[in-house]
Amino acid sequence: MTQTQPKTWDVAVVGAGMAGMAASLFAAERGLSCLQIGNGGGLLFASGLLDLLAVHPVAGRRLWDNPFEALAMLRRDQPDHPLARVDDATMRAAFQSFTTALGAAGMPYAPPGDRNANVLTSLGTAKPTYGVPRTMSAGVGALAGRPPCLLLDFRGLREFSARQIVATIGDRWPGLRMARVEFPGAETTAELYAAHMAVALESGDFRERTIARVRPLLGDAHAVGFPAVLGLARSGAVHAAFEEALGVPVFEIPTMPTSVPGLRLNSALEQAVVTRGVHRMLRANVTSAAFDGTAVLTLDGVPGGETVSARTVVLATGRFTGRGLTAGQQRVTESLLGLPVQQPASRAAWHSRDFLDPAGHAVNRAGLATDDEFRPLESDGRPAWPGLFAVGSILAGQDWMREKCGAGLALGTARLAVDRIARQLGVPGPLAEAG
Amino acid sequence: MKYALFLGCKIPASVPAYELSTRAVLGRLGVTLVDLPFNCCGYPVRSLDREAFVFAAARNLALAGAAGLDVLTPCKCCFGNLRHAQRFLDEDPALRQRVETALAAERLALPAGVTVEHLLPVLARKVGLAAIAAAVTAPRTGLRVVAHYGCHALRPSDVTRFDHPLAPTIFEDLVRVTGATPVEWPRRLDCCGEPVHDANPSLSDRLTQAKVDDARESGAEVLATACPYCQMRFTEFQAAGSAAPLPVLLYPQLLGQALGLAPRTLGLS
Amino acid sequence: MSASFLRMAFLVSLGLCALGLLWRVSAWLRVRIGPDARDIPFHQRLLAAVRGTLATLVSRRTPGVLKAFVLDVFLQRRLFGGSRLRWLGHLLIVNGFLLLLVMHALARLVTAKLYPDYASTHDPWLFLRNVFGAVVVVGIVMVVAGRLRRPPSPPRPQRPMDRVFTALVAVVLLSGFLLEATKVASPKAFYRMANEYIGSTDPEELLPLRLAWATDFGVAFPDLQGAPDPDKLAEGRELHHDACASCHSPPGSSAFVSYPISRVLAPIAEPLDGIDADTWLMYLHLAACFLGLILLPFTRFIHVLADPVSLLANGAASAGPLSPVGRANRRALAIDACVDCRLCDDRCSVAPIARSLGNPALLPSHKLLATHAVATNPRWLDRQAGHARRIAEGAVLCTTCGRCTDRCPVGIDLADLWVAGRADLARAGQPSPAQWVRERSALDWDEALAVQTAAQNPVGPLSSRRETYSACVQCQTCTNVCPVVAHGGEEPGGMDLTPQKVMNLLRLGMIDLAIGSGMVWDCATCYQCQEHCPEGIRVTDVMLELRELGYRRLGDTRERRQRE
Repeated sequence: MTQTQPKTWDVAVVGAGMAGMAASLFAAERGLSCLQIGNGGGLLFASGLLDLLAVHPVAGRRLWDNPFEALAMLRRDQPDHPLARVDDATMRAAFQSFTTALGAAGMPYAPPGDRNANVLTSLGTAKPTYGVPRTMSAGVGALAGRPPCLLLDFRGLREFSARQIVATIGDRWPGLRMARVEFPGAETTAELYAAHMAVALESGDFRERTIARVRPLLGDAHAVGFPAVLGLARSGAVHAAFEEALGVPVFEIPTMPTSVPGLRLNSALEQAVVTRGVHRMLRANVTSAAFDGTAVLTLDGVPGGETVSARTVVLATGRFTGRGLTAGQQRVTESLLGLPVQQPASRAAWHSRDFLDPAGHAVNRAGLATDDEFRPLESDGRPAWPGLFAVGSILAGQDWMREKCGAGLALGTARLAVDRIARQLGVPGPLAEAG
Repeated sequence: MKYALFLGCKIPASVPAYELSTRAVLGRLGVTLVDLPFNCCGYPVRSLDREAFVFAAARNLALAGAAGLDVLTPCKCCFGNLRHAQRFLDEDPALRQRVETALAAERLALPAGVTVEHLLPVLARKVGLAAIAAAVTAPRTGLRVVAHYGCHALRPSDVTRFDHPLAPTIFEDLVRVTGATPVEWPRRLDCCGEPVHDANPSLSDRLTQAKVDDARESGAEVLATACPYCQMRFTEFQAAGSAAPLPVLLYPQLLGQALGLAPRTLGLS
Repeated sequence: MSASFLRMAFLVSLGLCALGLLWRVSAWLRVRIGPDARDIPFHQRLLAAVRGTLATLVSRRTPGVLKAFVLDVFLQRRLFGGSRLRWLGHLLIVNGFLLLLVMHALARLVTAKLYPDYASTHDPWLFLRNVFGAVVVVGIVMVVAGRLRRPPSPPRPQRPMDRVFTALVAVVLLSGFLLEATKVASPKAFYRMANEYIGSTDPEELLPLRLAWATDFGVAFPDLQGAPDPDKLAEGRELHHDACASCHSPPGSSAFVSYPISRVLAPIAEPLDGIDADTWLMYLHLAACFLGLILLPFTRFIHVLADPVSLLANGAASAGPLSPVGRANRRALAIDACVDCRLCDDRCSVAPIARSLGNPALLPSHKLLATHAVATNPRWLDRQAGHARRIAEGAVLCTTCGRCTDRCPVGIDLADLWVAGRADLARAGQPSPAQWVRERSALDWDEALAVQTAAQNPVGPLSSRRETYSACVQCQTCTNVCPVVAHGGEEPGGMDLTPQKVMNLLRLGMIDLAIGSGMVWDCATCYQCQEHCPEGIRVTDVMLELRELGYRRLGDTRERRQRE
């Protein structure tokens, strides 16, 4: 907020979810002046795991070890899928930039490679994903090799039960044990909250008292799993301190949203974009937009009202939960600009008869149709405005929840759109982390 | 640059060094301050009567408006409260009407465009970091400082517009410009404990203790504040304890030292 | 009236006044304001007072004390800074009265000793008495004008004794001037004097002198009308010169107040003589003086004594902080030192809040009385039916900004008094709302509300709108970022509700259960929840609104309970 604000922004990003944050981050890394508008907070529901693409096709529930092979297959099967438009190099560069930035903001990730990793969840299941926070990465190896391991939970932390994990997976993991400990200073407390524990563990005193309670339980364990409470702003340091004190690999198991990793991601991403000069207007809403030579956006939620102008606009308003799309009585509409929405012909076709239909529901593939540069199309098939781009889950033709491609969709489409914007504005190729 | 200085109630009575050092530093940096017959910002009555709180705040805004000045306050609670009052006036026309009537009885009127600013943003953005850096003659090189943000200035960010709510940088930027080293500490955005001091002293103590412990553990030599309530809380809490206190400095005291101002003019012994 | 009776009446009044003063002054060592004053025994306070006095009189602080005496007591420096008009008025009243007292009332003891030729009817004394009396009247007019010019402030209960005393002062002044005027015009007084000094009361024999006195002194002889015979007048003037002039100056110019009055009275001088008006006025004048003397210690005019002590103590205290015992004495003294000038009210930082709430109990002048009453009379608060909460509001909302202290012309440390008074109020059952809410659990409050209020009170602007909280998905983020929940858990039982549970109660329409909860009243208002809420719900603003509702609803319930 310290920098001066230009009269006309290079990019105005509307939306502050994963895709909006990624677009802002990539734009700022390109040296573009970037204004980000919209309510944040959706990121709090994230788990911290960054899925690229794990399931394809959805109907067959085929899991992939190598997400890039899955991408190749997707390009052949569904050329209209947004991810089919993102080439491997762009996708790798997107993850590289994104995780590097998060690491610099205190939330380090294991270097992204070629493979999906299986992460042990709090339900005792294995979840395939691509980007894994370093605090969780030791769990991937443990789940793969299944050596004797100790899982810990804390009395009072209702959202996480080591007992349930062992009950679910224990028969396939003979050396897996659980233990329950009291969180220091909370011996008389009925209910614990993960974020409070995470903050407490940033203090050396709490850490030492916790470690002292865990150490006698170690036994033959080759690794120790905790619920995701190892620090909030300093999770890297807290995690490292646990590993050093216990002398074995330590890993976090992601908890149900809203979780500590969600809070970490929210703060780290804000820090990442802010330190790169992005100007954010949180809690502001775009109420209308006019496009001419530049886009002029009218905002509310700002004292006295305000308009801003930008050379390009990135729409990252999400789908239904993000309120980018509105489900009406008969039709799905795009909430902000009234752009045409690609959708089933009638409401009757929105959902499959079977709620648990492995192929998913048609309405979950509704969204904006775009050209190859992610510019939304008018009904005549031409871009609505040359400088208007749409990224993330508002795009048509994908079902990111079932395909387990949420982060891949957000990061990949944002990266590609920003590349195109940079070209449109005449900014030379990627400055940093040239992909 | 000219502002109406809103000191509020706590600074003159309990933290006079804050007034001294603010005046000294802003004077050196060419900011003119005007004193107006302000009253309480309304903060104490916020929990008991919304209308009385908005009226008290509005009266101050009206006084500033009549003088044609924007308001600068060094108190984060006054700052937040005055801005909250503006929000309530904006979103509740009936309330606005009643407040306007009450003000009219004193021949005052709600001004249109009075901006309420806190000391730190004025320094960082209006005076500017570069101008401050140019004025520094005795940099506090090597001094390790933790900056305490203070809730009522930082949040809610849509009302206060102080800095980025989750990743603010303004206070560290201002520490850095004095030549001192801003130290990262996890609890920098947490509450100092003052607002619950009356209601629940032991809870307040735990909040403050956690902050002070965190500051120490992070290797700070000085804790910097920019609010009389936070300053009082940290000082009084540590004075009651047995450990040697972590020195607590008001930001303009730290800056004043770097500007080479005499300790006496900064309220430092 | 015999001189001995007068002397006795004077001595009795003086004695009663002395006893009264002793009682009042002893209150400066007896009255206990503030919990820290509660356990200090009388002898310690006496000792501290004596020691303080001695230290003040003989010490290095003496210059400071002297300075305080000259500037603050004598010249009223602090009042000068507060209001010029009132400063001048006050100066006139005090000095006019003081001079009247010394020169006129104590003439036999003072003036006559210093000036053997003293005669009350001779200049300069006659002239000076009129000057001093007029000075007092002008001073009173200025002070009253000053009060009238102030913005209207809510009425404050006055002690009845103050009114009686004020009336007595008016009686003394008025009767004094009237007495003088009556005597000037009175033929009867003339004959009395003539009898005493010339040995004659024969009107014919005294005709020349009467002519002289009618012409030069304004005695209203009913039989002397028209222009006097110049020869007789000259003769009379000669006689006057020999027999009267040593004691009498012509009042026409000297008694510039009473002489004009005497002209008004002249037409009825005879009937006035018929009822011995001058004698009765004299009785009235003296009786008012004596009664005033007796009452003085029990009025706020005790400040003529308390203020110099207070200001001198300030001068002495300026060297360093007072001991707790010294502070206890100062607080008790402060009650008597207050002159009820209400300059404090003008500067009070929360005065606009007092106006908005319609609650004058926030104003310093009101709080001073309440503070004294609560400290000295344990039952007083109970008798303020329906007002106890408003009185407590005054204590709770004071920001201790100290502006009243700065402004006080008699240098009372009001801010210290408010802190002490707030603690006394808390002891008397009126602590801050955040504290009394905790007397019961949220469930108890809810139950009490359910019993006592059939209809739900209107709720606040945020909590009454469903949109405020309908978006809540109970994601727990608010609870997860709440420092109060994080640190409140270490108390036995932990927090009763978490922020997200409070939001849920709102969704369920169970607002009564939320307003008495520890969560609502322990909220640190740090706005972490509001900032983090993924749905943009104004959680903290709602908490603050719930406090306001709680304060009203639970406060009513509590008051009803206390009355029962």
